[in-house]
Amino acid sequence: MVINVQNLVKRYGNLLALDHFSLQIEEGEVFGLLGPNGSGKTTAINCILSLLKYDKGTIEIFGKPMRPDAYSIKQDIGIVMQNVAVFQELSVQENIDYFCGLYVKDRQKRRELVEEAIEFVGLQDFRKFHPKKLSGGLLRRLNIACGIAHKPRLIILDEPTVAVDPQSRNSILEGILKLNQQGATIVYTSHYMEEVEQICSRIVIMDKGKTLATGTKEQLKGMIKGGETLTVELFGLKEEQLEAIRRLPHVTGAEYDGTRLTVHCSGGAHNLIRLLDYLRGQELSFGRVYAEPPTLNDVFLEITGKHLRD
Amino acid sequence: MFLHVFTGRLKCLTRDKLMLFWTLLFPVVLGTFFNIAFGNIMNITEEFSPVKVAVVESAGYQQNEAFRQTLDAVSQPGDGQLLIVSVVGGEEADRLLKSGEVDGILEVDGEVRLTVKESGMNQSILKAFLDEYAQKSAAIGKLLRENPQADLSGLLDDMGKESFVNEATLSGAKPDTMLNYFFSLLAMTALYGSFWGLRNSTDIQPNVSALGSRRSVAPTHKMTAVLGDAAASLVLHVAEMLLVLAYLIFVLGISFGNQVGYVLLTCLVGSVTGISFGTFMGCLFQKRDGLKTALLIAVTLFLCFLSGLMMVDIRTYINLYAPVLSYINPAALITDAFYCLYVFESHTRYFLNIGILCGISALFCLGSYLLIRRQKYASI
Ligand SMILES: Nc1ncnc2c1ncn2[C@@H]1O[C@H](COP(=O)(O)OP(=O)(O)OP(=O)(O)O)[C@@H](O)[C@H]1O
Ligand SMILES: [Mg+2]
Repeated sequence: MVINVQNLVKRYGNLLALDHFSLQIEEGEVFGLLGPNGSGKTTAINCILSLLKYDKGTIEIFGKPMRPDAYSIKQDIGIVMQNVAVFQELSVQENIDYFCGLYVKDRQKRRELVEEAIEFVGLQDFRKFHPKKLSGGLLRRLNIACGIAHKPRLIILDEPTVAVDPQSRNSILEGILKLNQQGATIVYTSHYMEEVEQICSRIVIMDKGKTLATGTKEQLKGMIKGGETLTVELFGLKEEQLEAIRRLPHVTGAEYDGTRLTVHCSGGAHNLIRLLDYLRGQELSFGRVYAEPPTLNDVFLEITGKHLRD
Repeated sequence: MFLHVFTGRLKCLTRDKLMLFWTLLFPVVLGTFFNIAFGNIMNITEEFSPVKVAVVESAGYQQNEAFRQTLDAVSQPGDGQLLIVSVVGGEEADRLLKSGEVDGILEVDGEVRLTVKESGMNQSILKAFLDEYAQKSAAIGKLLRENPQADLSGLLDDMGKESFVNEATLSGAKPDTMLNYFFSLLAMTALYGSFWGLRNSTDIQPNVSALGSRRSVAPTHKMTAVLGDAAASLVLHVAEMLLVLAYLIFVLGISFGNQVGYVLLTCLVGSVTGISFGTFMGCLFQKRDGLKTALLIAVTLFLCFLSGLMMVDIRTYINLYAPVLSYINPAALITDAFYCLYVFESHTRYFLNIGILCGISALFCLGSYLLIRRQKYASI
């Protein structure tokens, strides 16, 4: 087991940031930590890395207890922080070299690793740039390069792709998968379902410091009762009509933004037909209609919504 | 690993333009400004006027042949005259001192005691004269016993005359007053080392900055990281102080006496104090970044103000009414250390200053350590 967290409790004053949080991650996994803002993802990671003292619980990495002075464990971890952590006065190349140098002493080897990292995040044209002159997305990429240049066994990424454009994001996600294929275990936190769905082999959904569900994405989707999402483009839906739709059988929720009606359904057949029948009965004309199978988004909505927010 | 941290740090700090401005350019500009303001005073080469002193008439004084002879020798009218001595009764001496007609009172009963009302160049000369006399009194006594008619001038030649009378005549009016500004300026430069200390402490604490967290998860031993940073900032800051010093000496022509080694030691110790002070402040006020810097500037300038950076008389008042402040104010201690090197031949007071500065630095370091250990982050 690469990471084994048992019953972690962390309080900030009165706020319970982690509530008996447990986590097991196996070698070679791409593990997704999914949760809304403020759910305790960063707190959990900081505790795992011994950056934060915690009130209760045990943390083991590579089978050994993690402590602030467990330098041999730290040697094998790469971390990409949620907040960009680079030196403003050092260039892209110097920054990567500095952080890589904290792990790798050999200069020749380091030069190769730095070069590889620069190519990995696609900053070849910005080697001599200083962080101040980089755009937000490029800065994020530098942040990533600083964390992974030394080729660690375990890589923890805390929302690494915030502010990165879709193409770069995809190339970063691909890169992460490549690192995984080279043998690294990945822990990836995000509140973007799509990303997590795209790369993670196993996922934990957390909210308010608690683990709500763990499993592969298929397992997670299986947890909700085969719900689907129906989307209908239409104008002029009235509030009471929306209310009526919400009361239709199997409908768990409905939103309307003026042009588009989104209806979430739990399992059961003929949901779409029933909805369209209702709309015709109200003499509403509609444009395109589509039905989507459940996504992690639905899973998330269902679990967090039902168990916590209500 | 230490070397890697050290060089990386040095690279960062030497490129921090804003901090370089405050720690290097600002003192240079201020020094130039002082020099322009005092330029006129410096050029006046007025005659040095001998120091007026009252000696209390007593049996002790009458019996102390050596001392009387010495006083005689240094109060001979002429170029080398150091003192103007009036031998008076105890009460009269007090009155003269109070009214400012003399700068000090000498009393003899076995040993010689000096009473002064304020501190300044003349008082310092008296003190130095007595220190010298104490050192040489045995030799003078012996010489007089062997040959009552002996000429004391040989022995007295190096009795401080060279070291301060010459310096004093150089800048006529009130040399200590003007020089104090420059000494104090150097003290300010030293304490501005606190900016580097503050930066160090920000960049290493995981709860203060992202960089701090990032570096805390690396397998660098915490002590290596702290010492690497500290060494880099110390090297840089001492270099800055030497540049400022060189500018004051070689470009502006300010004299710091001729004890180069000790002047450098003062720079080093002052720099250590400044950096550890900043580190401590950084640990004390972990959040509120803007406040920290503002507070640091304010505190440093206030301490320098007390040491006479803006108004030299402040220092005199403090020595008079709250002398303890001078012993705990690092700026005053650094200023006084330079002053001692310039004025006195003996190093007692100088080493007292340096010793206290070292003590204060040690306290700041200890305080920083305790504060970091206490915080809710586990990483140390
Ligand atoms: N230093 C702190 N002091 C007090 N409360 C904190 C502190 N850091 C985080 N919190 C609180 O702890 C909770 C969890 O925060 P955390 O940063 O772990 O969330 P997160 O899941 O990483 O959110 P995000 O997606 O926004 O990054 C939040 O309610 C937050 O307000
Ligand atoms: Mg977070």
